[in-house]
Amino acid sequence: MLQFPPWKLGLIVLVLLWGALLAAPNVVNMSGAPGWMPKKGVNLGLDLQGGVYLMMEIQADEVVANRLDVLSRDVSSALTTPASDRIFNLPEVKGRELVVRLTRPDADGNFRTEDALKRLQKLNGPVGGVIGGAQMYEMRISGKDTITITVPQAAEEALLKEALGKTMTIVRRRVDPEGVSEISITPQGNSRIILEAPGEPDPQRLKDLLNRDGRMTFNIVDSSAAAIQAAQAGAVKPGYRLLYDDQDIPYLINNIPEIVGSDVANAAQSFDEQNRPQITFRLNGNGARKFYETTAKNTGKQFAIVLDDKVMSAPRIDEPIPGGNVRITGTFSQQEAIDLAAIIEAGEMPAKLQFLDQRTVSPTLGQDSINAGYTAALIGLAAVAVFMVLVYGVLGFFAVLSLACNIILIFAGLSGVGATLTLPGIAGIILTIGMAVDANVLVFERIREEQGEGRSPWTATQAGYERALSTIMDANITTLIAATILYLLGSGPVKGFAVTLSIGIVTSVFTAYVVTRMITVGYMKLIKPKRFGI
Amino acid sequence: MLIKYWPDRTKVPFMSFRVAGALFSMILIAASAFLLGTRGLNFGVDFAGGTVMELAKTDTVTVPAVREAMPINAEVNSARGTDGREIVVVKFGEAPPDLLGEDFKSLSEEQKAERASGATNELIVQTLSEKFGLSVENGDFLRNDSVGPKVSQELFTDGITALVVALAMMLVYIWFRFQWQFSVGAIAALAHDVIITLGMFALLRIEFNLTSIAALLTIIGYSMNDTVVVFDRIREDRRKYKKMPDREVIDMSLNVTLSRTLLTSGTTLISLFAIYFLGGPVLQGMSFALIFGIFIGTYSSIFIASALVLSLGMDFTRKTVEEVEGFTGV
Repeated sequence: MLQFPPWKLGLIVLVLLWGALLAAPNVVNMSGAPGWMPKKGVNLGLDLQGGVYLMMEIQADEVVANRLDVLSRDVSSALTTPASDRIFNLPEVKGRELVVRLTRPDADGNFRTEDALKRLQKLNGPVGGVIGGAQMYEMRISGKDTITITVPQAAEEALLKEALGKTMTIVRRRVDPEGVSEISITPQGNSRIILEAPGEPDPQRLKDLLNRDGRMTFNIVDSSAAAIQAAQAGAVKPGYRLLYDDQDIPYLINNIPEIVGSDVANAAQSFDEQNRPQITFRLNGNGARKFYETTAKNTGKQFAIVLDDKVMSAPRIDEPIPGGNVRITGTFSQQEAIDLAAIIEAGEMPAKLQFLDQRTVSPTLGQDSINAGYTAALIGLAAVAVFMVLVYGVLGFFAVLSLACNIILIFAGLSGVGATLTLPGIAGIILTIGMAVDANVLVFERIREEQGEGRSPWTATQAGYERALSTIMDANITTLIAATILYLLGSGPVKGFAVTLSIGIVTSVFTAYVVTRMITVGYMKLIKPKRFGI
Repeated sequence: MLIKYWPDRTKVPFMSFRVAGALFSMILIAASAFLLGTRGLNFGVDFAGGTVMELAKTDTVTVPAVREAMPINAEVNSARGTDGREIVVVKFGEAPPDLLGEDFKSLSEEQKAERASGATNELIVQTLSEKFGLSVENGDFLRNDSVGPKVSQELFTDGITALVVALAMMLVYIWFRFQWQFSVGAIAALAHDVIITLGMFALLRIEFNLTSIAALLTIIGYSMNDTVVVFDRIREDRRKYKKMPDREVIDMSLNVTLSRTLLTSGTTLISLFAIYFLGGPVLQGMSFALIFGIFIGTYSSIFIASALVLSLGMDFTRKTVEEVEGFTGV
């Protein structure tokens, strides 16, 4: 029972070697090693390497409202083509409802509210285009002349899921247009996104990038001075609205856009002839064709490039423009131009993001924490080692050897599963150092008892290991239960702590019960001690 | 053995002190409940929401100067940073809306509630940057955490859930491995540890945050560990010495495991003191709680868990799981 068959010995040694290999990248630079060897050490949490953590939430209300807003345009055209004799107010989105009100009384009975509903039903369809699926909208006659359209729960969830996916792509494209940074963007639940940007000192820049709707349109401008003056006095021409550029120059903009964000193929920052930063972008095939047609039809007029209700640029159309290449020059810094290009290329957010949780740690603080944790671990380790050797002599020394193996295996485990080491995680490791010797202590105390009853080292050791086993298992399983729950229900740094603790429990049982035993048995075979000095 | 830290055969009549122990624990629990009810816990931003910022202390950036510069109500304190440097810790909630600029005023009430925390953060960063010439890019703001009210509420609920679920799972495990009397004893001991540790958090105004929940669960794990070791021994000795009264069996088991208990607590405490003194302020609260927890956990496995088992009585005439399919031959 005490001895291991050779295959088990081989397996134990293999596990230890494999652990050493996995843990190696944490100590030495492995970039020159052969391809099969692991190269990546433990991921450091943001609290250790510094950086920005943002938790954002998509507003479900807004996703629904935006959807209904898009629908409202279709509603208008569905009710006017073919024309009926009942006019209606522009459909309004109120919270989570779209209300369509027919105004002229139903005089001759030719076009009843039911008929309007029938036309609108054609706009309805199953969620995600799945035949037989739940319907996207619920449309009902809610008054004599009123139709109310709402989005049912199932459709809302589908919309939210779609919006989350879209938003994640847009967030990624905006904060990391080159796709080279280490920024991680992960979904949480069905409406949240967690962004972690290691090394980034400023949360504000990220928030500014993400706060924008990114709604870009090209609109024809009415540049007649009289119309602008009237609009500034409050009488805005119907179908137009008054917008400004960053020099507060007013523009009267046609509400119907000629080109929209989805017509853009790509956008980038570059420099103009005077070496000033500019944004250049290319329209896709469809966009380029529309742009050519528009510029041909409106030659001589002015058009505006509008981003989030702000006029970016308003050039005059001198001739029809083929090719779909557009540039915006202005007074922005290079960084602003890069960010704006990323926003234009990424496209429009399905809904505004709300920032729920924001944490920033400066990189220097992170490094200080690592150093402090390292010192604490070394001192804890040294003290435990001295203590064990003083109390248990040679057996204590074996326990310290297996404790060293334990630490290697913990790092191997952390590197292997790609866990993230956080500051509480370091505390977890240091705590494990203290607690890992517990299994050894339990066994050694048993050996001492058995030896005290006059047994030889060999039988005492055998009895010690046998008797201590159930205690060791019970004690560690209960701690493992706590660690598992912590992992499942905890968040952020607590999760990191739970992972470290769980790995530590498993490896410490292995090293204390198996590795120490292997060394002890080897020692007894080699030296054949008369009794242990414990 | 080079040193003999503990006599081989001790005969401490632990169970004779169990009434005194129970009284002592009841007083501590009552005091903790009173403190929690009156003083309450000092919730950190994780659970209370709001913002906490840390700035490196310099000749100009001092506690009074920062306090002076703050446009809103804020707690400004001094603390020791990880590397021993002094830092200025600024803690605040949401600024009144009229300080947050024109853009903010135009928002709907709902949006205001959502954005107030973030907008306040921007305002303070801007104010401090202008006043002291600090820059975010240079890392002058060592730490800047803002937690909105929605998330802080969730974090708290999640933390408490984790605690309760962990307790329940351990109760089931002990029940399965031992007997219900042991389960009751163990859980009573754990509840005892949690309440008194929380009372200590309230008494010393130690910040209670996510890390504290982790510390609390570790204390539970440790205390459980200790209790299980004692229980295991009691079960074994109970079977071995069939004629001995329960009380003597328990006392004997406690004495035999005493040297192990002291040694394990000793090594763990060494590690924890290393974290406490060298681990920096973030880990200080956590390690303090753990140090306290080790003492209370060791105490409770003797005077609460074992004492309750004695009061409730044991019955090992029936075969238990351990005998039927115990761990053997690993």
